[in-house]
Amino acid sequence: MEINNIEVKDLTKKYNDLVAVDDISFSVRKGDIIAILGPNGAGKTTLIKMLTGLLSPTKGIIFYNNVNFSKSQKKVKKVIGLVPQENNIDRDISVHNNLLIHAILYGINYKERNKAIMEALSFAEIDDYKSKLANELSGGLKRRLVIARAMLHKPKILFLDEPTVNLDPHSRRHIWNFIRKINNESQTTIFITTHYIEEADLLAKNVLIMDRGKIIASGSPEKLKSRLGSFTLEIFKSDSIEYQFFHNREEAIQFGEKLNCSFKIRELSLEDLYIKITGKRIE
Amino acid sequence: MHGIWGIYFRELLIFKSKFFKNLLASVISPLLFLFAFGFGIGKDTQIDGTNYIAFLLPGLLTMTSLNQAYGISSEINISRFYFKIFDEYLIAPIGRWQILLGESLYGVTKGFISAAIIIILAYILDVKFSISFLFVVILLLHLLIFSMLGFSAALIVRNHGDQFAINSFIITPMVFLSGTFYPIDMMPAIIKYVVHIFPLTYTTKLIRDAFLYNRLTSITYLLVSIFILFSLFLFGIFIVRRIE
Ligand SMILES: Nc1ncnc2c1ncn2[C@@H]1O[C@H](COP(=O)(O)OP(=O)(O)OP(=O)(O)O)[C@@H](O)[C@H]1O
Ligand SMILES: [Mg+2]
Repeated sequence: MEINNIEVKDLTKKYNDLVAVDDISFSVRKGDIIAILGPNGAGKTTLIKMLTGLLSPTKGIIFYNNVNFSKSQKKVKKVIGLVPQENNIDRDISVHNNLLIHAILYGINYKERNKAIMEALSFAEIDDYKSKLANELSGGLKRRLVIARAMLHKPKILFLDEPTVNLDPHSRRHIWNFIRKINNESQTTIFITTHYIEEADLLAKNVLIMDRGKIIASGSPEKLKSRLGSFTLEIFKSDSIEYQFFHNREEAIQFGEKLNCSFKIRELSLEDLYIKITGKRIE
Repeated sequence: MHGIWGIYFRELLIFKSKFFKNLLASVISPLLFLFAFGFGIGKDTQIDGTNYIAFLLPGLLTMTSLNQAYGISSEINISRFYFKIFDEYLIAPIGRWQILLGESLYGVTKGFISAAIIIILAYILDVKFSISFLFVVILLLHLLIFSMLGFSAALIVRNHGDQFAINSFIITPMVFLSGTFYPIDMMPAIIKYVVHIFPLTYTTKLIRDAFLYNRLTSITYLLVSIFILFSLFLFGIFIVRRIE
């Protein structure tokens, strides 16, 4: 089954009194990479769990190809892959067997199983560890095992919930490359949540910034940044650092020179925007 | 059906990785009871028209196999709350009922293994018994009931603590009061009636009669057991479909 578009309408999830996801709507086209940004507790994981069928919405509808997800779960689940926030692998069995169980659960037939497992192993570059117990892998390798597992049944949509959290810079880059490769080679639609804003800037075509269950901004990284300007002036005061945003470098320099403290000018980052709009809310 | 097989296969792999620990548990606990009750009360004591050891053995068989079958609840609990493996089942493109059946099949498997240990024990102790078709069917019924009970319990609780509470306040009293160690007839009149809320009361009697005498003394007990299994099956499906 091909998924050409995903549409989310008025999606809400309540845990008792707490509204974790608050009436959000958006749509996504095939082959996009969507980054979901937001502070702890914004509702990112809850949103992903609803999109993958792990949670049922309190209100609202998710359409995959204009078909209501709650009415066609099995079909859609076949083409969804999830890398959850926590590595939920079986620690006491081998890497290979972790993948084998997944292959059986996804109904990959006996003859094709081995090939699918080999491909997933080599894609995530963990062939050398296939007979090791999953528990013996380092954090980075465990993450790659989870990615291999999510890719095993060749999903058309891949959800990654903080895929690079707790990883060293090398492993992070490694995972960025996987994500790009997955997206390029098979036009896989990718959802990724992250706290690393530069990750979103680097990978995403579209960014959704969430806070307290709502989408407070969305658009391409460029479009979002241009709301504030192009350059950031960092002003080093004696007890704090302040930020000012400008559309061109000259304005920024002029402003800085009038101050009697040191300053630095750099390109405006997505993080500047993120801090600005989420900070306002947290106050 | 691949869902049932996938889940069963996963459980078997995990089971294999800690096989000896498991086996030891299935051997130690019945031996302990055998020493404490069996040899304490003695071979010469007659109960229900047979010697006490012969009476006790099928009781131990139901108890140990129940512990193993119902014990899947703790394992499901760990995989659900601690390792989050259960999410792998929930997100897979399979009907939720397959999770119930896959796990129950695993509970049944563990139950049969522990029953085999007691049968070996019975052989060593020179107790007269019969492994008939009737016995196997009734044991299967017993194991399915307690696997499904364990499954539902694991999905209803919200944490390990709840699970522990169910085990101590419901399962343990049930094991002691359902005619496992001594006949229900010997209990005070009120308790005699009360114990009929426990499914174990029915399966213990059925198993003991089949094991020792190869006979089915109570069709009513059989029908009640089948009814209990059917209800637990429906309840299990209801619960697993709502779980998130
Ligand atoms: N099972 C639950 N029961 C009750 N409240 C919950 C549950 N899961 C999440 N929440 C609450 O819902 C809100 C959103 O949580 P969620 O995990 O979706 O946030 P998140 O954006 O993924 O955060 P993080 O960046 O820390 O992973 C939080 O306030 C959280 O405490
Ligand atoms: Mg989260």
